[in-house]
Amino acid sequence: MHLVIVGNGVAGITAALAVRAKDAQAEITVISGEGEYFFSRTALMYAFMDQMQRRDLEPYERHVFREKRITLRRGWVTDLDAEGRCLSLADGVAVSYDKLLLATGSRGRRAEWERKLEGVVNFVTLQDLEACERLTPGTKRAVVAGGGLIGVELVECLVHHRVATTFLVREATYWPAALSPEEGEMVVAHIRAQGVDLRLATEVASLEGEGRVNGVVTTAGDKIGCEMVGVTIGVEPNVDWLRGVKTPPELGRGVVTDGGFRTSLPHVFAAGDVAEVNGQIEPLWYAAKRQGAAVARAILGETMEYGAPTYYNSAKFFHLEWTCAGETKGPGRFRKLPGRDASVRVLERDGIVTGFSMLGSRWNHRVLVKWLEERRKTEDVMGRLSEAQYDVEFGRVAL
Amino acid sequence: MIRDRLYHDMTNRGVTGWLMAALLTAFYVVLYFTEALTPWAQRVGLSSKWDLYGVLYTVAIVGGGLAVMRKYGHNRYQVIRTSVVMFVQVVFAFSIPQMLKAMHQPELYLSYFWPLKFDYGNPEYLAQQPMWFIVYSIAGGLVLVPLAGAFFGKRWYCSWVCGCGGLANTFGEPWRHLSDKSTAAWKFEKVSVYSVLGISLALTGILVYSWTTGSKAPVVVEFQSWYGLIVGSVLSGVVGVGLYPLGGTRVWCRFFCPMAALLGITQRAGKRFHIRVKEDMCISCGLCSKYCEMGIDVRAYAQMNESFTRASCVGCGVCSEVCPRGVLRLESESGLVQITVGR
Ligand SMILES: Cc1cc2nc3c(=O)[nH]c(=O)nc-3n(C[C@H](O)[C@H](O)[C@H](O)COP(=O)(O)OP(=O)(O)OC[C@H]3O[C@@H](n4cnc5c(N)ncnc54)[C@H](O)[C@@H]3O)c2cc1C
Ligand code: SF4
Repeated sequence: MHLVIVGNGVAGITAALAVRAKDAQAEITVISGEGEYFFSRTALMYAFMDQMQRRDLEPYERHVFREKRITLRRGWVTDLDAEGRCLSLADGVAVSYDKLLLATGSRGRRAEWERKLEGVVNFVTLQDLEACERLTPGTKRAVVAGGGLIGVELVECLVHHRVATTFLVREATYWPAALSPEEGEMVVAHIRAQGVDLRLATEVASLEGEGRVNGVVTTAGDKIGCEMVGVTIGVEPNVDWLRGVKTPPELGRGVVTDGGFRTSLPHVFAAGDVAEVNGQIEPLWYAAKRQGAAVARAILGETMEYGAPTYYNSAKFFHLEWTCAGETKGPGRFRKLPGRDASVRVLERDGIVTGFSMLGSRWNHRVLVKWLEERRKTEDVMGRLSEAQYDVEFGRVAL
Repeated sequence: MIRDRLYHDMTNRGVTGWLMAALLTAFYVVLYFTEALTPWAQRVGLSSKWDLYGVLYTVAIVGGGLAVMRKYGHNRYQVIRTSVVMFVQVVFAFSIPQMLKAMHQPELYLSYFWPLKFDYGNPEYLAQQPMWFIVYSIAGGLVLVPLAGAFFGKRWYCSWVCGCGGLANTFGEPWRHLSDKSTAAWKFEKVSVYSVLGISLALTGILVYSWTTGSKAPVVVEFQSWYGLIVGSVLSGVVGVGLYPLGGTRVWCRFFCPMAALLGITQRAGKRFHIRVKEDMCISCGLCSKYCEMGIDVRAYAQMNESFTRASCVGCGVCSEVCPRGVLRLESESGLVQITVGR
């Protein structure tokens, strides 16, 4: 069997290694356009901040791929012919397959006001990272538009490089998709304390400049002069390239698959950020990894019905750590912890816990998820919250 | 900014990094192999170059320690650990020996044990010391150190007490990320560090034998002086500290220190100390590996959801500190109690 994987992200590489673990014979080829080796997209910010060099971003030493006989090819796939079981690359080379895995990840969502100007960047790919590094020395002020997790990471990097930064957030409170208004306020105060000009309920109306950007006009009518604009208004499955191929798979928001990661095309699977599995997209690192491991079993012939497990996530807003599990929106009990920048919020319905959102200290999401799955009573959970704390030794935060 | 660029250059093997390494190496060569520092010591009222070295060493630990406490101020483990390191240096590795000396007593370092301080396991040397110290040294080196290593992990010594580790974790902090993370380096480490341990055990055995029989062959004297030169001076000083800006701060501890090797064995055998990995939360960012001064590829364990104990781990706790997802936690079961603090 020749398995060809498009995309060397965490989904693609996890799948390749998992197939190899079970099948010593299979020929495995991974084709990817962004770079030759798998790297941690999640560490893009640490590379930008100079805390890591490029090689440090690679989760596996390079010899692993040789030892596991996984052929890595650099190139952009431009065509897919499911009848001939063949791919074409941008450089004209054709690659045939027996089984194909599409793991092409996400790309930055484009804004309506976006124009191709020097100085306008996304923060998703290695090429974006290079652009950021190139632009930073000549940048006095930057504007970052979009208050999601990638936005705040980009802002942190710019602040690290002592670039004056304006952070435009569309919503009236910070990240209402996951944070309560009180939590949003804490995060806003924390970000502002780092010297960031954070403006809520404000968007970019238009960009100024010809050839290269020299400012933005906000929806509040303000003009902000800047040399760099970061567009971080979210990501979307990277499916555009599939629209014009000879035999496109069925596309929804992502590549549509069933619970066994099968697309509408025979022998073609999809997993990771690009896949819409039973109508659901999970644009998360651990989800892409989990899907990569699961799709490997599907490729090897196992019948399966993948279901996303109880949701959890964690993130960091500058120095404020955040962990959530289950639901993050709805009625619940919020408590600011005494004397420090930390809080806990326990969501409930009819006396049963439905979710957790913990800001400013460390938590073991496994324990939280277990309580959710056991449908514990809120009273019970409130009394034993400390069992889920995960602070460093000597550092347990008083609840 | 120019200051940021310089700092980056010095801490990432740039020109200034190499210069710094040359300077540190030169300092150690001059210190160990010449008397050039003696007049400087006398000029500031100290009796020998070693006293001057003691002062400089203490200043480096205290100064670096204060910087580290500022950097990791939000992390109780780091603050407490660094305070202890500074305290041990100032009191046990500097003040007490100086006081003993002023009282015309032998200059004894209570925070060092055999086999790191090789003489403290050499009967010829020990026999000339006061009785309490003989008991302290033997009980310490043979019982206390390994036992505590089995219970709390080697960290209690390597990153809480030891002066070599102390310097690495304070003055050396800016270079900690330069350690080699490759599998090849790990293989080399296993050969080199256990070889030095073997040699130091063999030499100690020979010295005990010579002392009980009352005759010391000239070849033993030769062996002993070579050991002192290579392990005591070249590896722990010139290479150990001189290479901070090129190979990271724990070159000596990781590749050569016989005490670290011994404690590593007890740490593994004790099965109590480990780094716990929170399941399915690692984003493979690699900060933990990058900032591991012992060159452990922490990420390799974390991304496989494997809690682990590595013999070389000195339990500095920085992997846990830098992890942006709070995946890692140092734990020693039945060990250090979890204290709740409100701030
Ligand atoms: C800055 C940033 C920070 C993030 N932080 C977190 C976090 O903290 N936690 C978290 O859970 N998630 C985080 N994510 C999301 C996480 O990175 C993704 O969920 C994950 O990388 C998805 O992996 P994947 O394998 O599906 O796709 P990707 O990693 O996107 O890999 C897809 C690969 O496919 C290649 N490719 C695409 N099209 C083609 C083509 N036509 N031909 C050839 N190759 C192609 C690309 O080159 C790319 O390398 C972050 C994302 C970003 C951008
Ligand atoms: S620092 Fe944390 S998230 Fe990053 S690789 Fe290490 S364990 Fe994983």
